[in-house]
Amino acid sequence: MKTVIHDLGKEQNEKILASTDRVVCADGRYAPCQGCFKCWTKHPASCAMKDVLHQACRVLGTSDDLTIITENRYGSYSQAVKNILDRSIATSTPFSTYRKGQMHHTLRYGKRNRLHLIVYGSLTDAEKNTWQLMAERNAINMGFREYSITFCADAEEAGRTA
Amino acid sequence: MMEKTVLINCSPKQKLSVSGFLMKCAGVLIRGKKEYFHLRTPADYPAILQALKGAGKVVFVTPLYVDSIPSHMLPFMQEMEELCRGNGLRLKVYVIANNGFIEGKQNEPLMQVMENFCARSGLTWCGGIGIGGGVMLNVERIMITVMFGLMLLNVLLSAVQGGDVLDAVLSFGKSLLGLVILACGIIAFGIRLAVHINRGTDAGKKYTRIMLPSFVFIAFADIFFIIVSVLQGGIFRGWLSRFQPDAGCSIITENGK
Ligand SMILES: Cc1cc2nc3c(=O)[nH]c(=O)nc-3n(C[C@H](O)[C@H](O)[C@H](O)COP(=O)(O)O)c2cc1C
Repeated sequence: MKTVIHDLGKEQNEKILASTDRVVCADGRYAPCQGCFKCWTKHPASCAMKDVLHQACRVLGTSDDLTIITENRYGSYSQAVKNILDRSIATSTPFSTYRKGQMHHTLRYGKRNRLHLIVYGSLTDAEKNTWQLMAERNAINMGFREYSITFCADAEEAGRTA
Repeated sequence: MMEKTVLINCSPKQKLSVSGFLMKCAGVLIRGKKEYFHLRTPADYPAILQALKGAGKVVFVTPLYVDSIPSHMLPFMQEMEELCRGNGLRLKVYVIANNGFIEGKQNEPLMQVMENFCARSGLTWCGGIGIGGGVMLNVERIMITVMFGLMLLNVLLSAVQGGDVLDAVLSFGKSLLGLVILACGIIAFGIRLAVHINRGTDAGKKYTRIMLPSFVFIAFADIFFIIVSVLQGGIFRGWLSRFQPDAGCSIITENGK
């Protein structure tokens, strides 16, 4: 299954759907993670908060190819997108293991194929470097075999790239 | 006059956050006027932004979430960027990050994000520390409280029954020493950071951890999550299952729907 998460506004859903199975529009109309870990320990793979992100981890976990389109914020994701990632840690299990020589959680849905980041907006050189590191670390943490990253000048170009 | 330091606990947890604990510890070591805040929702912004106007230094104490800052910090940072640029505030920024995994180095992307934030906001990035296995600090502080209580009880009992009071104190001391050794890197780098904050100098980025071999830490972490999952019942509700999204999962737009 191929999924695209984007923060370009839901008008872009149709267009993006032409090249993917599923689209998740990060519109920010949901609460941030509260750090309770109950998506591991109480009701596995569902969030304690019953808004639209209640099962977000299941969507991400079942995405063999995941493309994330996000505006640049200091070398990290926009809030609307990061919120979805934070609320989806149950793509992993509470058990720990080693990946690339460091501690990580074992993967509920096993290894996935590819993580592709499309980052748009004003970007400094330092922020681009941070993004390279972020993509690499996220791919290891989330259990993707491959990753890639594309920088775009603006939202329009990012929409076309997807 | 010494500049005011604003300390911000950025954990979304109401209570018992490692960041809250680290903030208090840092507060003990930092001299001069200090103000403490907890950043959780937009309702917290005005008071913090107000305090920043009269401050010289700010210390962000934060957990690592998915290799970066927790999402709720971002809108605050954007408002802070605006405030600082608009008013030419040139605060010195320090960061104390802690993460769940044992390697403190895993905080590096978060540190870079905070440095990039400073560059955009015209603030002075002064570095900080990244603490691996931060959760253990919570375990430690609970253990110390419990052990201290037990020691008092023992001392009392020994006094009443004519036993050796010193024994109880010594055994508490020994356990305490063990816990301090586990945290020795954090204590050392914490003190070093506080010295830099007090002088207003660049502390650089330093990474430390709980002093346990990673395989021992992993065993502890696994046992911890098994116990909590038994108590909360998750272990009996498809603990490791590959759940599929329900048909009505409303964040997805699918082809043909
Ligand atoms: C949504 C979420 C994502 C997390 N991501 C990471 C991570 O990528 N790496 C890591 O080492 N720890 C991660 N952690 C663990 C936290 O950093 C750790 O539990 C920390 O001690 C929490 O600090 P606090 O009590 O101050 O909130 C994550 C925790 C949560 C809730």
